[in-house]
Amino acid sequence: MTHAPSAPTLITFEGVNKWYGNYHALADITASVTKGEVVVICGPSGSGKSTLIRTVNRLEEIQKGSIRFDGKDIHSRSMDINKFRSHIGFVFQSFNLFPHLTVLDNITLAPLNVLRRDRHAARERGMELLDRVGLASKAEAYPGQLSGGQQQRVAIARALAMDPPAMLFDEPTSALDPEMVGEVLQVMKSLARDGMSMMCVTHEMNFAREVADSVWFMDEGRIVETGTPEAFFGNPSTPRAQKFLADLSSH
Amino acid sequence: MTDILAILRDYGLLLLVGQFPNGPMGGLAITIALSIGGIALAFPLGVVLALGRISRFAVLAWPATVVVYVARGVPLIMFIFWMYYFLPVATGRPVSGLTTMLVTLVVYQAAYIAEIVRAGIEGLPRGQMEASRSLGMSYLQTMRKVILPQALYNMVPTLLSQFISTIKETSLGYVIGVNELTFAANQINTTLLTKPFQVFAILAAIYFALCFSLTLMARQLERRISARRAGLGSQSGAATTPRPQIITE
Repeated sequence: MTHAPSAPTLITFEGVNKWYGNYHALADITASVTKGEVVVICGPSGSGKSTLIRTVNRLEEIQKGSIRFDGKDIHSRSMDINKFRSHIGFVFQSFNLFPHLTVLDNITLAPLNVLRRDRHAARERGMELLDRVGLASKAEAYPGQLSGGQQQRVAIARALAMDPPAMLFDEPTSALDPEMVGEVLQVMKSLARDGMSMMCVTHEMNFAREVADSVWFMDEGRIVETGTPEAFFGNPSTPRAQKFLADLSSH
Repeated sequence: MTDILAILRDYGLLLLVGQFPNGPMGGLAITIALSIGGIALAFPLGVVLALGRISRFAVLAWPATVVVYVARGVPLIMFIFWMYYFLPVATGRPVSGLTTMLVTLVVYQAAYIAEIVRAGIEGLPRGQMEASRSLGMSYLQTMRKVILPQALYNMVPTLLSQFISTIKETSLGYVIGVNELTFAANQINTTLLTKPFQVFAILAAIYFALCFSLTLMARQLERRISARRAGLGSQSGAATTPRPQIITE
């Protein structure tokens, strides 16, 4: 991994709390992600993993605490939310490609409208990224004509087109047929190798083992355990993590 | 039947274009012009009202909601009368029946179109808005580039049936003396005096031919759109969702 332990902090959670009515979705989250770090967040369903990752680009608001990105408090009122979001790539479980636009137009939409890039440059960069995810031949296809794995790779290329310093992945392979999981993980691995800062909510424990710099284990809205993949998978320290891993391996 | 043919021979042109070119345009031409003009102007207003309705800002949501509820909650003919007396007072000068009818149709139809567009927007998966906003697109950019193009495309058949309703509604212009198709038919009836069944059978046939062919067109479009969606938008299983019913009253 290119990640150096002394790298500067990129994302900091400080006492983050979120409630849905009486339901405590996130409880006292304090953690940080350094530049170039790959963090995998795992835990049972309903543990708040997706909610946590969605607070980082403010798809979810928080009620208490603070989240800093590159030193700036992202939940402050004065934040230019659109500008901020353009610096973070987000990949959804359900891809969320725009079905009325071609693959290439999906990718160039935000560069053209948000970054005001020139059309030619945006398309050229779009083609580069499609080539990177192995789908250059699908530039003029519509999302509905692609397989799930292909759609998710396009979604990753679409996020990368904004040249974000960090990428968030919210269960990127959970909606895929098993035979398509590999191609998406491959793209994510190559991003990690290139030093992209990443937070991934995923159930792919092999991916975590191979690529993550650290693993955060969540349960009931809390981060229960953090550690290197070796430590977490080899010797989980909390009973809940032990049970979670035992349940996983029994499947 | 010979009566009908005779009436068509003598008065066909009056039904089609009124006294034009020797007098003002009227008949079917005005009916169609009113319908197209009405829906064309009502459409942008309807989109604006729909955006107001779903806005999280109360200053936008409230007025839009009031307009939509009031317009949908009163009979069109009452609305026509109301505009007929209100517009000259509001503008300080006489307003023709044609203009009154057009303004009435625009406001009335905009309220219905607003609800169609709102349903179209809210029917899209939430992920579309989230994905676009995550890329840094603003709310309005997202509406313009991502949400509305999809919503409006899906709404084309419903909008077309709204257009069909508008055609039939223009006949109410008769009560304030708009020289449209129904008005022309009535003129013929008062001239002939003895052939009301024939005259109004012709009138009904013209409306029916117009509206029914448009209904068929809406069906055709709807089929094309669901076929296209099955091929393109497979990610949410759109192919299996039931097609919306076309309602043309």
